[in-house]
Amino acid sequence: MKRKTILVACGTAVATSTVVASAIEEAMQERGISIILRQCKATELPSLAADADVIVSTTPVPDGLGKPVIKGLPFLTGIGKAATLDQIEAALRD
Amino acid sequence: MDSLLATLKTVIDALGPTVLLPIVIFFIALILGAKPARAFRAGVTIGIAFIGINLVIGLMFTSLSGVAQAIVKNTGLHRDIIDVGWPSAAAIAFGSSVGLWVIPIGIVVNVVLLLGGVTRTLNVDVWNFWHFAFVGSLLVAATGSLADGLIAAGLMAGLALLFADWSAKAVQEFYEVPGVSVPHLASAQILPVAIAVNWLIEKTPGLRAIQMDTSSIQKRFGVFGEPMILGLIIGIILGLIGFYNAGNASVVTQKVLSTGIDLAAVMVLLPRMVKILMEGLIPVSDAAQQFVRKRSGDREIFVGLDSAILIGHPAAIASSLILVPIAILMSIVLPGNRVILFADLAVIPFVVALAAPVCRGNVFRMIIVGIVTLAFGFYIAGALAPLFTDAARAAHFAIPKNASLITSIVDGFMWVPFVVVMLVRTLGMGGLAIVLMMIAGSYALFIRNRAVWERAAGASVAAEAELAVATSKVRAAE
Repeated sequence: MKRKTILVACGTAVATSTVVASAIEEAMQERGISIILRQCKATELPSLAADADVIVSTTPVPDGLGKPVIKGLPFLTGIGKAATLDQIEAALRD
Repeated sequence: MDSLLATLKTVIDALGPTVLLPIVIFFIALILGAKPARAFRAGVTIGIAFIGINLVIGLMFTSLSGVAQAIVKNTGLHRDIIDVGWPSAAAIAFGSSVGLWVIPIGIVVNVVLLLGGVTRTLNVDVWNFWHFAFVGSLLVAATGSLADGLIAAGLMAGLALLFADWSAKAVQEFYEVPGVSVPHLASAQILPVAIAVNWLIEKTPGLRAIQMDTSSIQKRFGVFGEPMILGLIIGIILGLIGFYNAGNASVVTQKVLSTGIDLAAVMVLLPRMVKILMEGLIPVSDAAQQFVRKRSGDREIFVGLDSAILIGHPAAIASSLILVPIAILMSIVLPGNRVILFADLAVIPFVVALAAPVCRGNVFRMIIVGIVTLAFGFYIAGALAPLFTDAARAAHFAIPKNASLITSIVDGFMWVPFVVVMLVRTLGMGGLAIVLMMIAGSYALFIRNRAVWERAAGASVAAEAELAVATSKVRAAE
C-alpha cells in the first residue's frame, strides 16, 4: 500500500493536533500501517487539503475540502477512541 | 518556608529551563505513573524545545527590534513593545520558577475542587496550565516572592475551572461538543466582557438587528488565517514604514523584503518549536489524566479541553479574520499605545471564541466584543510589559539589555493577570486573599444560580434537556 498522508487540524497546529497526531501515529504503527502525518491550523485547511488523503480535525472544518474528514475529539476525551481509529484505518484503505 | 523557596528560586534561576525542566518533568511523569523510558524521553524533549524556541525568538528579536527602532525614528510613534506571541509566553511561563510546580499544583487544585463537589470539570488540558504559571511568573517578577507566584498559580487553576463550569452548557450546545468544557484562561476571560457588551447591543435599536455573513468573510479575508502569508505581509508593511528612507532603492528593497521573509519564518517556526514542547508534555499529561481519573471516581464530569477545539467554527474564524486588520489599525491610532502587534495576530480566534455562544454566533457582535477586549488589552499590555520582559529574562530568554519590551495578546492583553498583579502590588499577600475571596464568592453565587449564569454565558433553556439526552446517549454508546 502506498504511504498515505493524514492531515491533523486544530486551532493552532500546536496543542490538540499534536496530541491527536501522536495517538494516531502510535496506533497506526501497531496496526502495521505506514503513514505520513502533517499538522495544520483549521484556517490553513483549504490550501493544504489537496496534499492530504485523510483529514482528522479536533475543531469544525470548512465544507468542500474534497477529502474525508474525521472528528478527532475522541482522542482528547478518550471516549470512542477505538472506533475513530477504525474509521481512520478504513479511510486509509479506501 | 520563605527562605527555602528563595533558595529554590536561586537554584532554578541559575540552572535555567533547558537543564532543570527536563529533570523536573522526568520526576513528575514518574510520580504520576509514566514508564521511566517515556518519562526520560519527555524530559529531554522539553529541554530541546526550549533551545529551539530561544533560537527563533532570537531571530524574531533581531528582525523586529531593528524595525521597531526604525519606525520610532521615522514616524515619532512610540511603539517599543513587541508582541512576541503566545508561544514565547508559554515558554516563559513553563520556564519560570513557578512553571516547574504548576503541573502538580493544577492537579491538586482540580482534584480537591472535584472531590469537594465544587467543580464539575476534570481539566485534562495540562498543556494550558502555562496560563496559571504565566500569572504566577508575572507576580514573581513583581514581588520577587516565589510563594506569591505559586499561590497565584493555584488560584488561577481554580478560576479556570469556574469559567469552564460557567460556560460548559453554552459551549456544549453552540459548538456541539457533548461532555466537554473549556478551562482555558485566555479564552474564558472574555466571558464577562461579552455578556456586558452583548447586553448593551441588545438594548440599542439599529445595532441589535445587524448580522454578517460568515462565508463571504472567510473567502475575502482568508489570507489573514494563514500565518506565513500574514507574517510576510506584516513584515513588508512594517519594513516599508521603518526603512522607506534607509538608502537607495536597492537597499530599501533588500531591507523591506528581508524583514518580510524573516517575520514569515517566525510565524511558521515559532509554533513548530512549541509543538516540540507539547510533544514532551504528552506523556506527562497522559499520566496526569489517568492519575486524576482514578481519583475522581464515577461522578459525572465534563472533560476540560483546550479552546483549540472551538477555533474552527465559522463564527470564530470570520470574526477574528476581520479583527486582524482592525487590531493593526488600533495599534496605530490608539493614543498612548506602545505595542506593535505581530506574532499573536494569528491567535485572535482564541480571544473571541467564547463570545460566540453569548452572541449566538452573531459575527458583528463578536467583532464589537473583540474590539472592546483588545482596546483594554493594549493598555493592559503597556502596564504589564516591564514585568513580562523581566519574567522572560528570569526564564533565561535572550532579551538584550536596553532592547524593546515584550508582550503578547495571549496573555499579555488579558485583564485577569492585570487585576491579580495590581492587587498584589498594592496589597501584597492581602491582594492574593482578595483574589481568593473573589473566586470563592463567584463560585458560591454560580452554584446557587447555576441556570441563570449558564444562560448568561449563552446556554438556551430548551437545549438543556436535549443535551442531557445527547450526553447520556454518548455515555450509553461506550
